Amino acid sequence: MSYTYYPGCSLEATAKEYDMSFRSVFNALGVDFQELEDWSCCGASAAHATSKLLSVALPARDLAKAEATGRDVVAPCPACYQNLKHTREFVLESEHNREVLKKALEGTGIQVEGRVKVKHVLDVLLNDVGVDAIGEKVSRPLEGLRVVPYYGCYIVRPPGKETFDDVENPTSMDRIIQALGATVLPFTRKTRCCGAPVMMSQEEEMHRLSYEILREAREAGAQAIVVACPMCHFSLDAKQPEIEAHMGERLGIPVLYITQLVGLALGLDPYAELGMDKNMVPPEDIIRKYSAKAAKAKA
Amino acid sequence: MRDFRSEVIAAGGEGIAACYQCGTCSGGCPTVSAMDYTPRQIIRMVNLGMRDRVLSSRTIWLCASCYQCQVRCPREVKITEVMAALKSIAMKEGHNSGIARPRAASFYRSFNEIVSNIGRQFEPLLLMKTALGSREGIFTKLRYLLRNAPFGIALMKKGKLPLKPEKIAGRDEVKRIFENVARMEAGE
Repeated sequence: MSYTYYPGCSLEATAKEYDMSFRSVFNALGVDFQELEDWSCCGASAAHATSKLLSVALPARDLAKAEATGRDVVAPCPACYQNLKHTREFVLESEHNREVLKKALEGTGIQVEGRVKVKHVLDVLLNDVGVDAIGEKVSRPLEGLRVVPYYGCYIVRPPGKETFDDVENPTSMDRIIQALGATVLPFTRKTRCCGAPVMMSQEEEMHRLSYEILREAREAGAQAIVVACPMCHFSLDAKQPEIEAHMGERLGIPVLYITQLVGLALGLDPYAELGMDKNMVPPEDIIRKYSAKAAKAKA
Repeated sequence: MRDFRSEVIAAGGEGIAACYQCGTCSGGCPTVSAMDYTPRQIIRMVNLGMRDRVLSSRTIWLCASCYQCQVRCPREVKITEVMAALKSIAMKEGHNSGIARPRAASFYRSFNEIVSNIGRQFEPLLLMKTALGSREGIFTKLRYLLRNAPFGIALMKKGKLPLKPEKIAGRDEVKRIFENVARMEAGE
């Protein structure tokens, strides 16, 4: 197993702990990866809202660079994953599409054929590494930890030509969490939008949507929400104090990246390797209870 | 001049003529309660050629591109793509639509500008540019920035807001892609 790692812009900034925990967990699982050299932005939602052509022309540069490495791409950010995956499907779809893209890339020397696949980190963990292999490496089972998995939109929607999970009721993250020994609680808002895309233009809408997710998690008795998207994390974790102020209600629900949760069960350092001091809602209770490091410090 | 529906289809809004107005899209839409027209109504209005009302609606900017409508549509209308196409047409023409538009369009514009210049997104600058580039009054802009300042500082303390953008080596290629696309679309 060997991948080209496409971090995407968020993982260099507001989702730094996703990048840290991704690298640490993949290393610990023995999955080989190399960051794509000189990668550029996938265009995210802005290119999509600006022009259909731009939304495939921008990821084409990254896809072409990945093709040169010959390794499939792993993208932890679902928006990056969708854009790169969609661009590959666009290229493979027709000669006409390839001609249009060629024109959009004129003068850059970039050529893209769609040779390498694009995978989300959940797909790699579940289907390439596998829950058995993950389970074998668990040194600190998360027994007694009750969580809800929140997928958001772009992990499963739109499904495109190839997808790895159910569009209405995804379970890939559920199965990974269970392999760690934790309990997955039933959750109806698994794929209900958190409102991140309208965060800057219509804050109130984002507050309302994220609040509904946080409230259901609390009512379910979850000790944490587990996510696999930097935008979902930003809405639910970084914006949680703002949502609390707006709704006049204290929530205090930690939001962990799936890679942080896996890392914890693998016995990795919660701070140096998993960046858990960067989460805005402190997950200290969970760290104290489940981290090998924390247990050692206590002893 | 071609009709509005063809224009929307050309911009990516495929399958729109197949809509039979069942309302599944509106039923699953997470932001429908804040919209002035439901997604179902917008589709009908596009099919009827109600150009100005559609392009100046709040609905198109409230669409969070979550794709819930599109994956459930029994007629396979690419509703999310229709909304994206409408945003792109409205942005090109500078349609004004009350509270929703100013910062939404500014967000997309700012995002593209930064990527076109440095090859990647740089979040601190994106927030500043989005706020300052909106069509709101200067006091509204400043209030928004001031209100967000403590949050920015909190992120910075966590080491989550880098102070300097990462300029990539191939940024000329990225700029060229933006220029090529703009030229191709203008020539259409």
